[in-house]
Amino acid sequence: MKMNAARSSSAWLLILVFVTGVVVQPSALAAPEGMVTTQQLMHDLQVSSQRDTIAGFLIREDVQSQLNARGVDVADAQARVAALSSAELATLAAQIDELPAGEGLLETALFLLVIFMLLDIAGVTDIFPGI
Amino acid sequence: MQQACARHRALLLLVLAALLSACVAAPQTQRLLETPPPNLAADTHLAFVPFFPQELYQCGPAALATVLNTVSVRVSPEELVSQVYIPARQGSLQVEMLAAARRSERLAHVIPGTLDAVLGEVAAERPVLVMQNLGLRHLPQWHYAVVVGYNLDRAELTLRSGTIRDYVVPMAVFERTWARAGHWAVVVLPSGEIPVSVSATDYFVAVAEFELLHPQLTGAAWREGLTRWPGSEILAMGMSNWLFRAGRVHESAVVLENLLVQRPGYQPARQNLTLIRQVLADSEAP
Repeated sequence: MKMNAARSSSAWLLILVFVTGVVVQPSALAAPEGMVTTQQLMHDLQVSSQRDTIAGFLIREDVQSQLNARGVDVADAQARVAALSSAELATLAAQIDELPAGEGLLETALFLLVIFMLLDIAGVTDIFPGI
Repeated sequence: MQQACARHRALLLLVLAALLSACVAAPQTQRLLETPPPNLAADTHLAFVPFFPQELYQCGPAALATVLNTVSVRVSPEELVSQVYIPARQGSLQVEMLAAARRSERLAHVIPGTLDAVLGEVAAERPVLVMQNLGLRHLPQWHYAVVVGYNLDRAELTLRSGTIRDYVVPMAVFERTWARAGHWAVVVLPSGEIPVSVSATDYFVAVAEFELLHPQLTGAAWREGLTRWPGSEILAMGMSNWLFRAGRVHESAVVLENLLVQRPGYQPARQNLTLIRQVLADSEAP
């Protein structure tokens, strides 16, 4: 079934290449407003993989005990990761990605997470709406 | 993330000895040797892959030149130094290695961090660029090398590494040094070729990154991707967007129509198809 669908769609493509060959324009066509671009899709994929990285980090036992030691409620932290902006997600995920290369960085990742939360409490930022 | 290259062989040997005596686990090697993938050849060696001996700490440029020359990019390590080598760090960043491959009009595919994936690519005649930490976790000796062969019976890998053309290393030792660098492995290919080990999502990301630099070369990559994964929403979107941008508006609509037959609920495709049909209607209006 899949093969047939693939074959018929490539056949269609070939036919269309010939039929519409005349309207091919040399210059790049701008995407109309509202179009979902390839770069947007890539961005969405990256954000969701960063969320996965952070979620996976927060369920680690060593991380949870460190957070508890700092008086941060793990459930709160988990719930609020969802509210991080894409820049903050990227910063945090990059820190976590570096962890295998040096465990001292666990401190940095936790520190960033706590800083993001404290800045919210101080009213400097508004990342975690619940605080 | 900086990668100074290892070159002190005495230290290296010391570290290897320490590792062996410590009997650190190499779970992937064990699994692979117990139950090798059914279609994997037992012994492969890619003799055609060129060799560029590394100078000083410059394993990054040397390893990158190795994989680029394999896919017909005539470039020397010296020419790559300015693109990937950071003198102050005596090393090269992974992201810059990927960017340099793209600048040479080739796609850089990060493949899954499994020995199965690495050996599968080598069996498909694709050398694999890898990063290793030859030192210890807390005393890292970063290194780039290229996997060009393996032998399952002897449990060995062959690398283009440092100043040695065919560096034969026990698979378990390789696994440990590779694991300490995050199992980073990359296959560099021209547009239109697909690594055997990647998912549709991995492939999409590699093509989308490439398209930012070389939109005119990306058509073949989308087309081959969609042929291999005909039901992939994101690859169909990439193909359609590429066709649209090239002014092939009818074709860009057809790709989405075909996708929606298989995935009727995929909203981004519906949204784009509506807009594309609008463009077509406008262009046909008197």
